[in-house]
Amino acid sequence: MRIKKYIFNKVIEITIIFFIILTILFFLFRLSPGTPISKMVDPTFTLEDQNLLIEQLGLDKPALEQYFIYLKNFCTGNLGFSFHYGEPVSKIILERLPWTILLFTTSTILAAFVGVMLGKIAAWKKGSAIDNFLSISALISHTLFIPWFALLILWFLGFKVGWFPLGGTLSPEIWITEPSLFVKLLDLIHHMFLPLMTLFFIHVGSYLLLMRSSMLGVLKEDYIITAKAKGLTEKSIRNKHAAKNAALPVITSVGLSLAFSINGGALTEQIFTWPGIGRELIFAVSNNDYPLAQACFLLIAGVVLVANLIVDLLYAYMDPRITY
Amino acid sequence: MFLVFILAGMLFSCQKKEKVNILKIGLPEEPKSLNVWLGTDTNSRKILSQIYQPLFTRDPKTLEIIPWLAKENPVFDKEKLTYTVKLREAKWSDGSEFTSEDVLFTKKIFFDFKIPRHYSQWKAIKKLVTIDKHTLVFYLEKPSAIFLSRVLTAPIVSKKEWGKIAADALKSEKPLRYLQNHSPEKHLGTGPFTLFEYRKGAYLHMKRNPHFFGTGKTIANHLLGPYVDSLLFKIYGTNDIAMLALKKGDIDMYWWDIQPGYIKDLKNDSNIQLFFNKKSALYYMGFNLRKPPFNDKALRQAIATAIDKEFILTRILQNYGTPMHSIVPSGNIFWSNPNVRKYGEGLIPYSHIKEAYKILKDAGYTWEIEPWDVAGNIVEAKGLKLPSGILMDKFVILTPPADYDPKRAFSGVMIQEWLRKLGMQAFARPMAFNSLLETVKGKHNFDAFILGYGGLNLDPDYLRTFFLSENDKPNGWNMSGYKNPFFDKLAQQQKSIVDDKERRKVIWEMQKILMEDVPYIPLYNPHIIEAVSKKEFKGWVEQVNGIGSIWSLCVVKPKN
Repeated sequence: MRIKKYIFNKVIEITIIFFIILTILFFLFRLSPGTPISKMVDPTFTLEDQNLLIEQLGLDKPALEQYFIYLKNFCTGNLGFSFHYGEPVSKIILERLPWTILLFTTSTILAAFVGVMLGKIAAWKKGSAIDNFLSISALISHTLFIPWFALLILWFLGFKVGWFPLGGTLSPEIWITEPSLFVKLLDLIHHMFLPLMTLFFIHVGSYLLLMRSSMLGVLKEDYIITAKAKGLTEKSIRNKHAAKNAALPVITSVGLSLAFSINGGALTEQIFTWPGIGRELIFAVSNNDYPLAQACFLLIAGVVLVANLIVDLLYAYMDPRITY
Repeated sequence: MFLVFILAGMLFSCQKKEKVNILKIGLPEEPKSLNVWLGTDTNSRKILSQIYQPLFTRDPKTLEIIPWLAKENPVFDKEKLTYTVKLREAKWSDGSEFTSEDVLFTKKIFFDFKIPRHYSQWKAIKKLVTIDKHTLVFYLEKPSAIFLSRVLTAPIVSKKEWGKIAADALKSEKPLRYLQNHSPEKHLGTGPFTLFEYRKGAYLHMKRNPHFFGTGKTIANHLLGPYVDSLLFKIYGTNDIAMLALKKGDIDMYWWDIQPGYIKDLKNDSNIQLFFNKKSALYYMGFNLRKPPFNDKALRQAIATAIDKEFILTRILQNYGTPMHSIVPSGNIFWSNPNVRKYGEGLIPYSHIKEAYKILKDAGYTWEIEPWDVAGNIVEAKGLKLPSGILMDKFVILTPPADYDPKRAFSGVMIQEWLRKLGMQAFARPMAFNSLLETVKGKHNFDAFILGYGGLNLDPDYLRTFFLSENDKPNGWNMSGYKNPFFDKLAQQQKSIVDDKERRKVIWEMQKILMEDVPYIPLYNPHIIEAVSKKEFKGWVEQVNGIGSIWSLCVVKPKN
């Protein structure tokens, strides 16, 4: 019962926070310099044209009136039309989101899994050559500058050696010939390899270091000494007793990273021409495409709030000492 | 697993080689919209201009207006103020006939929805009458100099494609937005290509239009094809990757202006051909003439003289461009006046400051420490005083940030240094582009700025737009607040001179006045630099604004 009450209270709290974010976002965009037509620097675009477009976009009304219209539409599931694309915002997000989830969620899960495994080994073998090698590699990976590393990988594996395509999600030359599903799938994986590899290398280090430091803390606990005294095997102590408890902070980190992964990564998406939501978000903000930018931010806010709740609940499941 | 990827890649590479008659073009960004009423950005226009065609267009070499969907030059009746236009026998891409009714329908759309950019030009038309299926008569309110170049060059759309949507849109609360938010499923055009498939975020595939009216005809000395079966547009997120794709052979052309930094590398590749062409562009420094001290012509002339355009050209543009001396770019050979006052031309760096100093001194400016010592050596000047004896305040030159346009940002820094040598406390300040425009165009709260127009229309009517007194209002185009009654008179006069040679005299005079009053200092005109692969295709058509045009796509041929 107590957990149900906790969830109920948390949902109310999340809803209030969400609407506060929505309101702040709405007015923040209206206060930012320029309008959606600011960048139309074409002398044939007359003042009358500008006024007509502002009126057609509904931006001639007072901000408060615009806000209530937006709120009403939002509550009915209408996110509006993108000023720039002239398409429903929900359609644009639904087109972009799967690409971001596919790449960023896959890379986060992969990096977290490998990071936890290697972090566990590094902590267990603290001070050994393996630990030194893994820790230094993780530090290098953690501090890699994404654009530089991505460009380097593309230049070497995509151009110099030529094994992989130079960005994008598919090979147009193949897709226009209407190939089989298998070929399409293979082509997609082929295109996904380099961005996935880049993101994996960049994220794996932080998970490794996090797991290693958490595990080192746990290894000093009394119950580990007790386990050793009981004569349990090394594997059993490491995996069942230490790693399970040490993984708690990693779960928080992975949970939040997964939530933020729908935000994509503008730089990675830009360099690999990956048509995800990160590029779209940057574009929408820089072009004052209010409906699209607001919807992207709200999506991120919503997912992060929900992910927080899920992480809280997972904690209780993983650690019986935590109750609500 | 790794091997599978590599094998897949090799398999795909083999498949690619079979399709040599597909012209693969790289684009820097996806088109914003393929709705002709919304897709006004550069990349959308590249696609849409292959589909929707105008009645008249420009000869790529002479830049004269020539018939395109029209059969011949229009017949002008001075008495009745009419233009009679005869249309070609042409078909829409679905095989239906293109008639004068479609032109009439296009005019109706422009008027009913007040289509931005077009309505302001077309409203000069009093009446449009169709005589028969292929003849139209345009009745004007008064003679219009821009009728051919700005009105008859608008894209014509099909009634079949847009009739129902337009009718529905007119019933809606926001008709223009309704029309712009429509996603066309099948475009009907008269151009050389039709849209076959658009996979968002990945590619855009266009096929040759079998009904293209130009196929087999010689227009502007070009025997038109198209000679390629289809166009495949690919998107590249960064110029670095697009350059690698061009060198690798993934694309045959990158349809974008390449930064000079790539040239050395591309020149070393024997498979790459580079094109350098003049651009119809204007990059300039503007002043706020609404307030002192920039309302003083002498000060503006001195600043214009102090600017070393040759330095900007050689160091910032790396010699890929031309210094500008008039508001109309020199590439616009017919309209650009070569005899305007050219500030600082041919002067060495030392002389720029000396000449600027003389102009200021003659106008009554004084210094606490002059830029010259008694021995005639240049020294750090300080405390420039206006003719009234008041110390000149520090002022800011607003520029776009370096990541938006390094050329303008660095030009601002250099100008700041030259003006400091004259004792002016100038500060170049980069500002986000949106904020910069709002400050300069909307609020008029600035001292000086550096901006540019990358794609000026070849008709010089923009001189009127930029400097007419009545356009000095918030968000109006007269950003400097320039007011000259004689200039206004000429600007209005040129609008109704139909004879180009007569009109040119007025346009030249306008340029002369502007370069005497210098509300804007034209700085430079960068070359448009484009690169293609020499392996598969040949026959690119060079013109002002580069090879990326419908002419090239109608003429370019496979090598084998």
